[in-house]
Amino acid sequence: MVILGWQRFTASVAEIILPSMNGQDEGITKRQLGMILLLGGIIGFGLILAVDIIDVGREGGIGPAQTWALLAMALAALVGLSLLPLGDAPA
Amino acid sequence: MTKPGLQLHRGLMLCASIALLFASFIYAIYAANLLAFPYDYDQGEGFELHDTTLLSQFRLPYLDTETYPFYSSNYPPLYHILAAPFVWLFGPAYWYGRLLGFAASLLIAVSIAFAVYRDGHQNRWIALLAGLAFLSSNFVYHIGPLFRQNIMMVAFETVAIVLLARAFPRGDKRGITLALFCLLCAGYTKQMAAITALAAIGWMFLRGPRRALLYTAGFGLAGGLVFLWLDLASGGQWWRQAIVANVNDFLYDQAVGLFRLWFGLHGFLLVPAALMTLVELYADRLSIYSFWFLAAALLGGAAAGTWGAGDSYLVTSIAAACILSGIFFSRLLANAWGPSRILQVLPLARLASLSLLLVPLLYLGYARATLKMPTGGAFAPLAELLGVERNVAFHTRPDAPDFYDSAGWLAGGYARIGYLLTEADHAAGDQIVTYIQQTDKPVLSEDAGFSIVAERDVVTNPTQLRNLYLAGQFAGDELARMIEHQEFGLIILRAQFFPPHILEAMGQAYIHKETIFMNGFDYLLLFPRPGYEPRETA
Repeated sequence: MVILGWQRFTASVAEIILPSMNGQDEGITKRQLGMILLLGGIIGFGLILAVDIIDVGREGGIGPAQTWALLAMALAALVGLSLLPLGDAPA
Repeated sequence: MTKPGLQLHRGLMLCASIALLFASFIYAIYAANLLAFPYDYDQGEGFELHDTTLLSQFRLPYLDTETYPFYSSNYPPLYHILAAPFVWLFGPAYWYGRLLGFAASLLIAVSIAFAVYRDGHQNRWIALLAGLAFLSSNFVYHIGPLFRQNIMMVAFETVAIVLLARAFPRGDKRGITLALFCLLCAGYTKQMAAITALAAIGWMFLRGPRRALLYTAGFGLAGGLVFLWLDLASGGQWWRQAIVANVNDFLYDQAVGLFRLWFGLHGFLLVPAALMTLVELYADRLSIYSFWFLAAALLGGAAAGTWGAGDSYLVTSIAAACILSGIFFSRLLANAWGPSRILQVLPLARLASLSLLLVPLLYLGYARATLKMPTGGAFAPLAELLGVERNVAFHTRPDAPDFYDSAGWLAGGYARIGYLLTEADHAAGDQIVTYIQQTDKPVLSEDAGFSIVAERDVVTNPTQLRNLYLAGQFAGDELARMIEHQEFGLIILRAQFFPPHILEAMGQAYIHKETIFMNGFDYLLLFPRPGYEPRETA
């Protein structure tokens, strides 16, 4: 399941970067945008949390600004998830 | 909609137009009032004028702050370059910089109206209201007619976005190049334009990834070459002064306070703009305006929380909101939506009928939410009719000006602007200049305007020294030595932004003898302390 999902994702990335067969620069789809937001949200969320782990000298845990940033990342991931069912409609 | 319903719609639209035209009228009065004032109104204007003067002499303002006159700029040069020809014609003065800012705000309003007309449903009246709504914003009002570069940056950004919205989907290479050139101009007017550039690149990537990569590479190369040239030409000072010194602390309370104020004042347009973004996200294609709006609101809002920032950092998001809400209203009124299964669920025809009343009411609500006006003199009866009274208050003096500003007085930052200046402010500035003229020695002033009017050297840029000091880039040994040896005939303080050791040296070697109140602030005049023996400095 995970491998299948990854293959789909890499195929989507390839679609974006590589020239399409007919030479048109089509633009990305709602599903591809959804994947970008979902992945970006998850990675961003992890990186913000990692600030506390990497920066060991820091005190006070997750601050208010960090909380807002985490919420923004979670929201981005959720929006990304909600776009996946919209398929090949142009974003 | 019945005929009486249409008449009611037109009546309400007329009321909204009058309300927003009144806001523009007040804005014009404020601009005219500021044009006549020859000193700093917002702290920093004088330094921008000095940057303009230096550039008019073909000298870069990115200088070594360790040597006399300890001055450097922290802003890119384009706005000052645009104002430089005025220095050749009229000498250093504030009015033309303020006039350029005011003209830039009008250009933004026209661009917004044009975008709403073209990309909405060609509704002239909504286009007009969208443009006027921008000028009605308290944030635009505050900073538009200042000798500051922010509004010029927003003008370049708006023109770039409006051009790109049409040029990129059509593959119009000339249009895209022109739009990216405007974006580059925005970036070299103020660094904050990086957010708009990010939004534009993101949207181009969405619409045509390969072309986006090509154009981004060209854009990056052009921007990088200018950056490199500035750094080489200034001997590395560009990087230190304009980049390193601009990294400031994030103040959470300031960011939240400004976000709340932003929403409280502009909510009548922000909510429709957000709805338009949602429609585009799920039922249509995302426009560049939606991308721009989200980036400017989220990233610009976060940046507004940095030390020294303020409501001006959200002006870009207001321009985007005016366009998006205008397009939303136009389409709502015309019931002109793209084919979408999601939208078909909604009773669109009924919504269109309802919007005939709702849209003008929203603009009326917005006009009331952003109301600011004098409450005395000829405006007193109108202020009474509208139920508003003076809410401006100076923290050191009881005699506050008769002015109402729905933004309140404390907007999260330290800037307190928007009221009209009086003869007393002019006289106070002249009095400070007279003190400067009484000494032959250099004068250290926290506002550059007094030194400029007195035709003296502009010495130091306190916020810049503070930022450099905090970044570990300013020692200030020579400045401290000059203060210790009382080499300045007079020191004029306003916000006391200097690094602590500089302020400490001032406190030791100088004595506070006079306080002059001007444009809402106490200016402290410090004279050499009699009989002072200089201490050894590092």
